[in-house]
Amino acid sequence: MVGANDNEEFVQEFLVESTENLDQLDRDLIALEQAPGDEERLASIFRTVHTIKGNSGFFGFSKLGALTHSGEHLLGRLRDGKLTFDDRVTGSLYSMVDAVRAILRTIETTGSEGDHDFRDLAQRLTAVAAGEAVEAAPLRPAPADASPPAAVAVAAAAAATSEKPTSADRTASESSIRVDVGLVGSILDLVGELVLARNELRSIDTADPAVLAAAHRINAVTNALQETAVKTRLQPIEHVFNKFPRTVRDLAVSCGKDVQLSIDGGDTELDRTLIESIRDPLTHLVRNAVDHGIEPPDVRAARGKPRVGRLSLRAFNESGQVTIEVEDDGGGIAVAAVRDKAVAKGLVAAERAASLPDEKILQFIFEPGFSTAAAVTSVSGRGVGMDVVKTNIEAIGGTVDIHSRPGLGTTVRVRVPLTLAIMPALIVRSASERLAIPQAAVRELVPLRGDRAADRGGPRIEGLDDAPVVRVRGRLLPVVFLDEFLGLRERTACRDDGTVVLVRVDDHEFGIVIDGVQHGQPAAAGVGEAASLSTVVVKPIGSLLSQVGLYAGATVLGDGGVVLILDLRGILRAADVPAGREVDGASVAPLASDAARYLVCRTRQGRRIALPLERITRLEHVAAADLQPLGGRQVVRRGDGFTSVVDADRLLGAEATTPADAVKLVVVGGAEGTVAVSVGQILDVLPAESPLQADSATTGVSGLLALGGLATEVLDVSRGLPW
Amino acid sequence: MVSHAPSFEACAFRVGEHSFAVDSGCVAEVLHAAKLTPVPLAPEAIAGLLHLRGRIVPVIDVRRRLGLPAAAAETPRTNLVIELGDDSYSLLVDEVLDVQAIPLDRIEPTAAGAERAAAEAVTGVFAAETRLIHLLDPERLVQSLIKQRLTPFVRHGVSHDG
Repeated sequence: MVGANDNEEFVQEFLVESTENLDQLDRDLIALEQAPGDEERLASIFRTVHTIKGNSGFFGFSKLGALTHSGEHLLGRLRDGKLTFDDRVTGSLYSMVDAVRAILRTIETTGSEGDHDFRDLAQRLTAVAAGEAVEAAPLRPAPADASPPAAVAVAAAAAATSEKPTSADRTASESSIRVDVGLVGSILDLVGELVLARNELRSIDTADPAVLAAAHRINAVTNALQETAVKTRLQPIEHVFNKFPRTVRDLAVSCGKDVQLSIDGGDTELDRTLIESIRDPLTHLVRNAVDHGIEPPDVRAARGKPRVGRLSLRAFNESGQVTIEVEDDGGGIAVAAVRDKAVAKGLVAAERAASLPDEKILQFIFEPGFSTAAAVTSVSGRGVGMDVVKTNIEAIGGTVDIHSRPGLGTTVRVRVPLTLAIMPALIVRSASERLAIPQAAVRELVPLRGDRAADRGGPRIEGLDDAPVVRVRGRLLPVVFLDEFLGLRERTACRDDGTVVLVRVDDHEFGIVIDGVQHGQPAAAGVGEAASLSTVVVKPIGSLLSQVGLYAGATVLGDGGVVLILDLRGILRAADVPAGREVDGASVAPLASDAARYLVCRTRQGRRIALPLERITRLEHVAAADLQPLGGRQVVRRGDGFTSVVDADRLLGAEATTPADAVKLVVVGGAEGTVAVSVGQILDVLPAESPLQADSATTGVSGLLALGGLATEVLDVSRGLPW
Repeated sequence: MVSHAPSFEACAFRVGEHSFAVDSGCVAEVLHAAKLTPVPLAPEAIAGLLHLRGRIVPVIDVRRRLGLPAAAAETPRTNLVIELGDDSYSLLVDEVLDVQAIPLDRIEPTAAGAERAAAEAVTGVFAAETRLIHLLDPERLVQSLIKQRLTPFVRHGVSHDG
């Protein structure tokens, strides 16, 4: 259903477009006068008039339609060579252009075509078109009640119905201009240059108040200019939304459905390049909602719903990003069908699928090739090409997620950055390099504990060489040592004097260990850590370097230095972050608490076991020689005291084996005391996928649990506690 | 010697003992002593990034690309900035020599045994009075560095299950 408001927007677009076309028409007519044989030019004029005629028919502007129809007829005869181009022809065509312009202006100010009818002009056009028969004869004498020349009449009509636009009340076509995107790009580049020059100016050591004052003004102007220049790239999202009323109407009619579309937040602004990129995915989502989501009226009535389905499109700004929601009140997605299909396609083990919550199951429809299966389409009635939607949105740094309640409807939420041209970023140091991390992904900065000399009270890097983790508020997160990863230098064991940048990419959360954040940039000296957060202008690095897959671009800092912007998704992939996948177990919903998460290990004899994360205080790596026998058991010295060490295999009733040179210890604490369980290998941190199934029959095991799709025994830690 | 055969303007430069030339039409500028920002994990021949009036330009070390021994640290290097369509690149060379007209009919096919790494980018050889100039196609030089993705997307079974 196209409401009055939507229609008004269309009319507005039509007016802007037509006014531009008329200007082109003027130029074309002048050119044609000079070169009457130019067929291409004539064809272009014909097309322009034809377009205006077609649009006026669509909006029901009958006078405009009749007038342009006469003009088109005249042009058609010219094109077909039935008529030669002469002054009479040109004159009447110019009059037509003027009349059209006058009508458009009347529509713009009053909303209707006005009272004046242009029948006389239309007649004249028709007469001229018929001119071939009376080529040599003078123009037919005007009727006795001859109207004044059309152009004059038009001018009078225009004056009567519209006021001259004042500067305060400009017409739509006058208040905006079209600018080449490349030009906007160069303006941004120049502003960037200006920022650098400004910084040089600020670094000049002077006490001259006149210089300082001038520098201060230049600084303020430069900041404002940068902000404004960036805004020139933004466009309201209604450029995409505007076509949906028509799409929805047509599709609803062809599907035999009744759909009421509501649009909110069309004025939310987005970079124009991104607007182009979201057009297709959004269209796809809207089509899906009408085609598959919303039920036919009879079905809706039978389900006790209003016969008219509701589809809503909402756009809004949220923490530096733009969120777009496509929500329908249709039948929702048949989760069971998706689950079956996921199992059938081998995407997940059957027992695991059964334990996954619906929200997780829904994510499968984003899997490549998943939704093309006809069976799913007809059963679930949803999801065609969702993988393409996801791929396209992720390509511009966005995310998609889907929520559905059976019988009540589906919401797809798309989040995209405001712009790719400029973004807030954290400038960090790693070895001798400076790098930028997009701030949108940064959750938290965690300073590590510090070396022995300066204990900062932060967490330490725990775990083992092959799976370093950091514990933050009870959660163990995998970390990547940026210096080592980028080959800048060797990782020096577990460095504890760095800082962990906790980032979240898609559904993965991990830490990036850096030396520190960049302090004291000239542009914002002395503001401490906040100074490291800069708004950077993203510059492309070209295919030669983007193929590396680790950099999203580069930027130039205030001091003129070039800094690479990390592509966190690329790093996640390339670094093969061990627990990244597991962490996403906590994705859609808020991160699960430790209560539901387990550390999965392998004993030295190869048995897969799990320990509840909430009981684990730390992971340690000690030399075998550090284990001291003490009265029939082993202890390890930790700080001021000793902790007893028990072999996991021993707890399970098997023979303990003598560890080689290194021992991996999981330190478990509780009200009863502390014990270090020695294991063969730390595998993962995983969320529980099933309730704990008690098992008192097996020695050392408290129960059975599905973890990572595998049945895993949970170690009965209390047995290890010797007191 | 005067040749009336069609010729093209080439900008010659030196890398180690070797002379090369590129079509002078694609040369944008020559920069001495520019500061380069290294790109970790980039292909070896990438010397870094150059900041050129708001643009970020990748710098290709021709010496490394050709597999020649590294220049002594104090050897001055020169950036020969070229434009290929909308993209700019800089060739890091030892010295920019001159611009000369090379008659097309005196360009010979690449001699066997030409620098292996460069062979795919060298389109011909011209015997100048004092030296042999290898004609380098910058487009091919750049393309030869663009490989398949270095780190293919590794999917761990299902990546979005949890």
